[in-house]
Amino acid sequence: MTGTHPVISAEGLVKSFGSVRALDHLDLSIAPGEVHGFLGPNGAGKSTTMRVLLGLLRPDSGTVRMFRRDPWKDAVELHRRLAYVPGDVEIWPNLTGGEVIDMFLRLRGSYSARRRNELVERFDLDPRKKARTYSKGNRQKVALIAALAADVDLLLLDEPTAGLDPLMEVVFQDVIREARADGKSVLLSSHILAQVEALSDRISIIRAGAIVESGSLSELRHMTRTTVEVETAAPAEALAQQPGVHSFRTEDGRSVFEVDGDRVQEVMLRLAPLGIRSLTAHPPTLEQLLMRHYGEDLPPQDAPRSPQRASTAEAAPGQPPAPAEAAPAEATAAPARTSGTGRH
Amino acid sequence: MTATSHSSTLTVPPQDTPAEAGPGRTARPARTERSRRQSPLTGTGTLLRFMLRRDRIRTSVWVLGVGLMGFYFAHAIQLIAEDQEALNSLAPLYADPIGRMMVGPGFGMDAPTHERFFASGYALFVHILMALMTVFTVVRHTRAEEQTGRAELVRANVLGRHATLTAALLLVTGAVLLAAALVWVGAVTAGFDMEGSLLVAATSACTGLFFAGAAATAVQLSESSRGASAMAGGLLAAAYLVRMGGDAPEVGGTALSWASPLGWAQQTAPYVDNLWWPLLPLAGGAVVFTALGYWLSTQRDVGASLVPTRLSRAEARPALGTPLGMAARTLRGGLRGWGIALVLTALMFGAYAQSMVDAAGSLPPEMEQIFRGGDLMLGYLAFMALFMAVFAAAAGVSALQQLRGEENRGRAEFGLSAPMSRTAWLGAHLTVLIAGLVLILALVGAAMGLGAGLSLEEDGWSHFWDLFFAGLLQAPAVLATVGIVTALFGWLPRIAGGVGWVIVGFAGVMATFGSLLDLPEAVQDLDLFGHLAQFPAADVDWAPVLWLTGIGVAGVVLGLLGWRRREVNRV
Repeated sequence: MTGTHPVISAEGLVKSFGSVRALDHLDLSIAPGEVHGFLGPNGAGKSTTMRVLLGLLRPDSGTVRMFRRDPWKDAVELHRRLAYVPGDVEIWPNLTGGEVIDMFLRLRGSYSARRRNELVERFDLDPRKKARTYSKGNRQKVALIAALAADVDLLLLDEPTAGLDPLMEVVFQDVIREARADGKSVLLSSHILAQVEALSDRISIIRAGAIVESGSLSELRHMTRTTVEVETAAPAEALAQQPGVHSFRTEDGRSVFEVDGDRVQEVMLRLAPLGIRSLTAHPPTLEQLLMRHYGEDLPPQDAPRSPQRASTAEAAPGQPPAPAEAAPAEATAAPARTSGTGRH
Repeated sequence: MTATSHSSTLTVPPQDTPAEAGPGRTARPARTERSRRQSPLTGTGTLLRFMLRRDRIRTSVWVLGVGLMGFYFAHAIQLIAEDQEALNSLAPLYADPIGRMMVGPGFGMDAPTHERFFASGYALFVHILMALMTVFTVVRHTRAEEQTGRAELVRANVLGRHATLTAALLLVTGAVLLAAALVWVGAVTAGFDMEGSLLVAATSACTGLFFAGAAATAVQLSESSRGASAMAGGLLAAAYLVRMGGDAPEVGGTALSWASPLGWAQQTAPYVDNLWWPLLPLAGGAVVFTALGYWLSTQRDVGASLVPTRLSRAEARPALGTPLGMAARTLRGGLRGWGIALVLTALMFGAYAQSMVDAAGSLPPEMEQIFRGGDLMLGYLAFMALFMAVFAAAAGVSALQQLRGEENRGRAEFGLSAPMSRTAWLGAHLTVLIAGLVLILALVGAAMGLGAGLSLEEDGWSHFWDLFFAGLLQAPAVLATVGIVTALFGWLPRIAGGVGWVIVGFAGVMATFGSLLDLPEAVQDLDLFGHLAQFPAADVDWAPVLWLTGIGVAGVVLGLLGWRRREVNRV
């Protein structure tokens, strides 16, 4: 291990394909032994980043170091220490799954045959079938086993479970936890929020080629809004004008709003004199964090759909229509969750 | 609720009560009724239009290719043999046992005409091309779709169970009829007899449909499209081999000829007897196979096969864990296919040596001009060595295109994520490719020597080593082709394959027509294959051997340099 030096450190990466800017001053840092969730929708630049890290693409500008080496120049040396699972796994149709796994393990050097067979069993893969007859999920299993059975320090996983069923998703999460326990670092690109939330020590959210948020889940929560539901003796409408308060609305005599993480204190001080009868506050879910960054891409006609909202322009991002129908306690969390969890 | 409220609030779900249904909605119950009465063929028309759109270029190329091939044969014969005397002297080449083995029973060669030459010597290859077109088209639209999972997406729509197969067969039938019409036009414009030409075209069409039927059955049996193509293609190869054995012993063929669908096609004896009834077993076979295909398709699930997939090894052999082992597994299938085809052809060309000795002196001058050199027999074999080498170069170009495919499909990226350098990746593939091509050329030379040794009545074996060497001597031209395409792969990958095919195509044209075309020397010099000596008919000239090898080596080095510095792209 390289001690405290980051396993991956990228600064100001820029990469353009023709007129399209795939990476736009991207910064990324991953510490040894950390599982780093890399979140973003399709086309945000996750795969391009992976391919720069693998030394397959050369950035237009910026620096990138892996294990303190240049991935373009020292690709071979670096690749002894990492294993990669592509997002769209293509394997040689005339080889069996078992053959592909062995080929990669041998190319990568040291590995344990026992571990390989154990993973084949856990992922429920028939290694005797020719790859041309495999489904996407089975091809992904082949790449995952080849990566996870290898004796490497870093795993680069590009949407590794997009084709797997929920049972295999559970196996995958177990195996990644084991990898972390072994001291491996993992860069896990994904848009399955529950997976990233369950596995990651730190998270980076990428948007249009740049990292828009980075930190542990609790740090990110601090940086973003807390949802507050409060019942007060005096009307609380004035709070809507308070800086840091968003999406203020009144439901059944209670006020529901979101507060910026760093302004909770001020808002609480303003609330107290109003006579608090009941109060619940809960941190944002990962879905909310993500939707805050991506929701702004939603078409503007979203706004008139939720006329109940006090401040529609702020409320629109990421909020599916009609939150009023949800149970009050989950008023803000529920709609976002349904849109997020529906994916896996 | 009014219409305006519907359009203004998007959140309100459309509430369809019968009272509200406007004029636009009355179609709905009717549609439900129609879908209740759906047949196994529902959606065939839509699917057929989809296939036509998808394959508008591919199918056109196939149809034009078959048509042009017929046209070319019909017209080229008249260039090679200008008068009756020339025809008479060429006739034995088709009528003797080796000639019959290669092209068919040799009807009417006692009184040869251009049209009889066309039917006896060349129509078979039009039939074969037609059969390949139908097999590939049917497999592509049925099993290949199921294998990739796209069929599932399509079948999830309102689509009858037999719609896909029916649409594929309709597409292929249309293509076959068009191609056959073009063949007919080609023959008629060459001044051939109407009825005979129609028979040739009809035979071609029936052969095509026969193998379309065979493919319709094969796709039910195999889980992979390659397996299905191999099954139907294997039937075609078997048909060729059986009629070879049947036609060799006697003019007009023997009982064995009748055991082959290609034999039936040839027993129509166009321009001689003009028999139509042998088309019956062909057409009948097409119907039976097609019906079998439909029936079998009802006996299985979508995506499943009737022949269980064979399980293979669960663990790799030790050799696979190296770049060379990986490259060998990628390229060996293609090389093996080209190798087998070329070696068998070389064996037959070699076996033709005695016929060339017999025909010496009586061949038309145009023919002799193609086989430059003093001794006609050796000139012929030297020419054939060159011709085979052009095909070996084609194998090389297609392998390099395959490498580009590896890159585009992301397998190169995945492979390079292991600790394997760019140089190791491309170097290993090139090592396998070049070693394979040299081996093919050596085997081609040996096969020609073997064929000649077996067929020649006098001193057959004295030429063996010369012919072996003649095959190998073509390696520099093949290497130069590989070198140029590799250099482009490193620097301008998008055009590499295209340029490669231009080199090969130009060499093919120059080999067949170069001496007849009378092109300026500067143009002739562009042909990489035109510089090596016509060994064994002429002495070896080492200068071109050296500089062609030099081009090859330089190209490989340049290509490796480019590949090391360029990005691995998937687009």
